[in-house]
Amino acid sequence: MNILEVKDIYKSFGKTDVLKGVSFTLEKGEVLAIIGSSGSGKTTLLRCLNFLERADKGSITVGDKVVFDASEPEPKASVTRIKQLSFGMVFQSFNLFPQYNVLENVTLAPLLHAKESADYKKRKKEIHAQIEETAKSLIARVGLSEKLKSYPCELSGGQQQRVAIARALAMNPEILCFDEPTSALDPELTGEVLKVIRGLKSSDSTMIVVTHEMEFAKSVADKVIFMADGIIEECGTPEEVFDHPQSPKTQAFLNKITEI
Amino acid sequence: MFIQVNLSLLEGFITTIQIFALTLLFALPLGLIISFGSMSKWHPLKWLVKTIIWIIRGTPLMLQLIVIYYGPGLVGVWAQDLIKAGVSNGILQWLATWHVFDRFFALMVAFVINYACYFSEIFRGGIESIPRGQYEAGQVLGMTKTQVFFRVILMQVIKRIVPPMSNEIITLVKDTSLARVVMVYEVLWNAQRFIKSDGLLWPLFYTAVFYLLFCGILTLLFGWIEKKMNYYKG
Ligand SMILES: Nc1ncnc2c1ncn2[C@@H]1O[C@H](COP(=O)(O)OP(=O)(O)OP(=O)(O)O)[C@@H](O)[C@H]1O
Ligand SMILES: [Mg+2]
Repeated sequence: MNILEVKDIYKSFGKTDVLKGVSFTLEKGEVLAIIGSSGSGKTTLLRCLNFLERADKGSITVGDKVVFDASEPEPKASVTRIKQLSFGMVFQSFNLFPQYNVLENVTLAPLLHAKESADYKKRKKEIHAQIEETAKSLIARVGLSEKLKSYPCELSGGQQQRVAIARALAMNPEILCFDEPTSALDPELTGEVLKVIRGLKSSDSTMIVVTHEMEFAKSVADKVIFMADGIIEECGTPEEVFDHPQSPKTQAFLNKITEI
Repeated sequence: MFIQVNLSLLEGFITTIQIFALTLLFALPLGLIISFGSMSKWHPLKWLVKTIIWIIRGTPLMLQLIVIYYGPGLVGVWAQDLIKAGVSNGILQWLATWHVFDRFFALMVAFVINYACYFSEIFRGGIESIPRGQYEAGQVLGMTKTQVFFRVILMQVIKRIVPPMSNEIITLVKDTSLARVVMVYEVLWNAQRFIKSDGLLWPLFYTAVFYLLFCGILTLLFGWIEKKMNYYKG
């Protein structure tokens, strides 16, 4: 069954049409890599999925729930807020909260969220302990158990991005999106972040990764989308897209990349 | 004589400190609210607030004190005159009841509005300097706008605005001497009195020491806050 169905998304900023009808589906446990040249709308697509932008047309379905439908009036912020938890987002620029240490960065949102549950007052201690334990195990998973009490400014870029991954995982999203997670990093730090993302791949974590790391896309993705000028120019398995591209635009893009 | 001077100056100190503390107490939260107004997405509100800030920052505090103290009384007299001349309606009747504010009250209104406007610009600068990514990171983690502001943004804003705030607050200490305009007698006025009445100069030096100590303590306090918040960068 599809865990994600994106249907006919359009988005323009003023007069620039950025997305011109993007549709795709994703199954549970699949990793989707999105590639494409600069300005083709990859970031905008992820931002629409995460409700950071509101698409002009189209719909998004997660599991059997329609979480977004542009033809309906914009729901209240409180409704959108719950729906957006289906998605997690890891930003190109990490966006960690500088005043909190690693552990606090990961626990902040779950703690705030827990306050809304009905039995919060009664089980406060228990809930807190549980959230902290989960956070610690996530931080261990990204290999930063040593750094629980460090502040973001004391970490390398790669470490910061790994914290950001743990922070996104803490809200237990059904689909985790990465927007060029390594492009703000020095080449020698890219590997550690990609390794973490690779390690997350499992039967029940679905991921969408916008990336310029073609080797990584080839080896991790189950599905690859090549975007050009706001549409999906080509879509298929890594072998199909990388080794036997059909569209001339994909061929040109891949040639240009391998030339460098 | 020495005791008399001391008592008089002490009274002045207390007035000065009162003006200072009450202004901070009301102007800081009001400034935050005004800064939200000046960043409003609803343009009529934004421009109204920006105009008010322009007027308040563009005219001397002394003038504002005079207007707020005497203004309502003058309006009342004017309305009464019109009524005597035979013009009468509900609004005039109401305006005719206006009279001068209590001096200390007028003083506080003027100080709070004036400082709130200056603070609001500092807040606005601080809030606008926080990268959008911080809001977005909070939003995608499912936080409400209020949670994002109070749990993520505000601490970072405070860290950034401590230096300009400390400047403004130290200016406030010395601006309290303007209170004499509406005949509220703070420490400097009380000291100056002794020049005329008894030819004494030393009470003036006395007040200088008071101002220096007051500002010195504030400087230390702000230094301490800055240091406290230095545990992180960014
Ligand atoms: N908020 C915005 N306002 C106006 N135009 C925007 C906005 N966001 C994106 N755009 C435009 O949309 C187009 C697509 O941008 P987008 O960031 O989605 O591209 P991208 O594929 O992620 O590129 P890159 O590989 O450089 O990250 C660009 O031409 C950009 O200028
Ligand atoms: Mg992008």
